[in-house]
Amino acid sequence: MSEFLYVYRSEEGARIPEQRDQAMQKWVAWMRALGEKGHIKDPGQPLEYTGSVVNGRQNAVTDGPYAEAKDLVCGFTVVEARDLAQAVELTAGCPIFDIGGLIEVRPVIKMSL
Amino acid sequence: MSDFMYLFRGGSPSGTPEQMQQQMQRWAEWASALGAKGHLRGGDPLDGTGKVLRNRESVTDGPYAEAKDLVGGYMLIEAQDFDSAVELSRDCPIFHSGGSIEIRPVLKLSK
Repeated sequence: MSEFLYVYRSEEGARIPEQRDQAMQKWVAWMRALGEKGHIKDPGQPLEYTGSVVNGRQNAVTDGPYAEAKDLVCGFTVVEARDLAQAVELTAGCPIFDIGGLIEVRPVIKMSL
Repeated sequence: MSDFMYLFRGGSPSGTPEQMQQQMQRWAEWASALGAKGHLRGGDPLDGTGKVLRNRESVTDGPYAEAKDLVGGYMLIEAQDFDSAVELSRDCPIFHSGGSIEIRPVLKLSK
């Protein structure tokens, strides 16, 4: 088994406050299903849409998340899967798709620090 | 204390094998120092491959975005507040190789 990072991305404003509880329930259910099959390594966290980017040699700090693309990183999960193909399959039913978001699936390089 | 995510972009180790070794050493030291002070909650570098899924039917090869925007790794950090999370990032070796760190607060859900 290998580890893969799900990077959830969506446009700012995609989260609908009124539907938050409903969305939360879907996320919990989806995660639970993955967890029961032994695929959740780290359930991860949702992220605020705020933040900063610290850049380059001058350590310049710019306000706001990295928004070069419209799909802001809005959360992550670490999963365990046989391979990248399975990690992709396991994204089925993820509530991020309901708000027009996407998942970037990346293999984790395990390092012992 | 609050949780923050560091998303590392760019600044991949490059140069001679010795230079790359040195860079990796600096990363290990920086991460170690964060761990020793109790700030490190997790994180790993990421392979440059991957897939992007917009829904079941739409799967594209490769990581999201162009090379310079590529997320090369992440860390979960615990810090006093956002300014503190920014301060803790300043000694990261990524800045010596032209990379950047996006710092994002973990969403706080108030019940």
